[in-house]
Amino acid sequence: MAWNEPGGNNKDPWGGGNRKNDGPPDLDELIRKIQQKLGGLFRGGSPGTGTGNFPWMLILVLGALIYAGLGIYQVNANEAAVVLRLGKYHTTESAGLHWNPPLIDSVTKVNMTEVRTERTTGQMLTEDANIVEVVLTVQWQVGDAESYVLRVRDPVKSLQEATDSALRHVVGSLTLNGVISQNRTQVSTDTQQRLQEYLDLYQTGILIDVVNLTDAKAPREVQDAFDDVTKAREDEVRLQNEAQAYANQVIPVARGQAQRILEEAEGYKARVVESARGEAVRFEKLLTEYERAPEVTRERLYLDAVQEVMSGTSKVMVDVEGGNNIMYLPLDKLAQESATPAAQRQDTSPIVVEEVYQRVVERLRNDAANSRRSQTVR
Amino acid sequence: MNNRTLAIIAVVLVGILLISSSAFVVKETEKAVLLRFGELVRSYYEPGLYFKIPFAEKLRKFDARIQTVDSSPVRMLNSENKFMMVDSYAKYRISDVGKFYTATRGDERNAVRLLSEQINDRLRNQFGVRDLHEVVSGERDELMSEITKNLNQVAQKNLGVEVIDVRVKRIDLPPEVSESVFQRMRAGRELEARDHRAKGEEASERIRANADRQKVVIESEAYRQAEELRGAGDAEAAAIYAAAYNKNPEFYRFTRSLQAYKESFKSKSDMLLVEPDSEFFRYLKDPKGQ
Repeated sequence: MAWNEPGGNNKDPWGGGNRKNDGPPDLDELIRKIQQKLGGLFRGGSPGTGTGNFPWMLILVLGALIYAGLGIYQVNANEAAVVLRLGKYHTTESAGLHWNPPLIDSVTKVNMTEVRTERTTGQMLTEDANIVEVVLTVQWQVGDAESYVLRVRDPVKSLQEATDSALRHVVGSLTLNGVISQNRTQVSTDTQQRLQEYLDLYQTGILIDVVNLTDAKAPREVQDAFDDVTKAREDEVRLQNEAQAYANQVIPVARGQAQRILEEAEGYKARVVESARGEAVRFEKLLTEYERAPEVTRERLYLDAVQEVMSGTSKVMVDVEGGNNIMYLPLDKLAQESATPAAQRQDTSPIVVEEVYQRVVERLRNDAANSRRSQTVR
Repeated sequence: MNNRTLAIIAVVLVGILLISSSAFVVKETEKAVLLRFGELVRSYYEPGLYFKIPFAEKLRKFDARIQTVDSSPVRMLNSENKFMMVDSYAKYRISDVGKFYTATRGDERNAVRLLSEQINDRLRNQFGVRDLHEVVSGERDELMSEITKNLNQVAQKNLGVEVIDVRVKRIDLPPEVSESVFQRMRAGRELEARDHRAKGEEASERIRANADRQKVVIESEAYRQAEELRGAGDAEAAAIYAAAYNKNPEFYRFTRSLQAYKESFKSKSDMLLVEPDSEFFRYLKDPKGQ
């Protein structure tokens, strides 16, 4: 039975009397004893008392002071202190200055507000029997100091194990694509929920703040294939865009071309019709005059036309009646001459000059022959 | 005086010795058994201060907190006769410290070994009748709670231990199987990539072909309209000409012929061989024209 239970003094197997101040006795009794000894010390200090009692008093007082001093401790604002009295959970102290009797009470301080991070990473199986590589961080703090200190042997290790298990469970119930893209937030929320469940079951007193799915990707071994899919998606869009660009270029150009064809046709139509009108009017006007003086007009038109024809062409007049002479007409030369006068002028090298000379001589000869022939015609 | 002091010191020392060897504290985090000459006499303690008979009675303390059995990964066969690496842990707490002491001879490692053997055995049994998919996703929770419940009953009875939870930390495929999974995944991705590229080409071709068709349609429509316009123009012109020339077809033929002569013999390179007997040269030979 505990010594410090209510009314414990009566149940003390040693009684109180013969015991010296060397064990962990009841607090009240201890104080009473200290008071007694203090009284003794003062008495002992008076003159005439035996010297044998004096050092005892001093030692006891010093011991009591040291004992009392050791029991003072400070709890910071971000901490909580779990106090065990004779092994039994007594209280949890919050921030401030506290005193608990040493040896009787044991105090364990816990940082309650510091957010600590746990990280887990690895390859794991997904629901569709693929493998995914996941990096997950868990931010946590102590929610219940009593549990954290008293209920589990190694709370942080429990957290690590529970995180591994919860994460793999969640990932194992999702598909690869789900983990990598669509259900990323679900991974963290489900893991957090599951993890907190486990931690509560293990009475770790740990409170999960956030679970972050830092990274979820295909394993290294197949990363290139996954990257290629991303590239292929880009290619798909690129090909479409290129084709669209082509279409955007071709169709307006075709429309422009069509407009040109139409405009040209309109132009043609206008030209044909207008020239027809013009020519018709011209003819009608001429016809009016012709009808007034048919013979003369006709003659004049004929002569005008033939004159124009004659003056515009090279002519050779042949008198058929005198044609029994053998006649040489250098038709090819005549044609060449009239067709290529410009070409000869371009080159003036000595050989060409020689050739020109030959030609000039030839022409003079021809001219002479021509004039002779005209004379004979006459 | 001196004697008295010595006596007091002796009493004090004996007192200290007696108390330190007889008093003990059982903490909140501990469970203890008391043995008298090796015989278990007391196994239930609330946390607090207790006394025992020095030398005759011995105290053994155990951790009362929740602890872990962390087994190393084990190769297990599943219902498809495929191996997988299963890594599990269990959480337990001593519930009956007396039973725990007698069952394990007070050695915690014994307890852990016994527990992990039983866990392995149960996992093996459960995994043996399930396929990979079932253990990875489908029935994980049920599987675990079943094992926990079952193991807890046995452990409570035999070991004085309460099993709180049994969990599979990781189920991995052995390396040689992983490689084939990677290959399958890679093949799947290649399929997907090819699909995307082909779809891209399909869309591209469709867009281009559509554009080309539109081009042809637009141009041929324009051609049709253009030809219609030209035809209309030609028709109108023909009507105009006909209306005018019908007024005197003979004169038209005459003027038109003259115009044709002019047009035909425009160039110097055209050559005329002329007979002086023609109408045009009537006055060339004879000023009277006879």
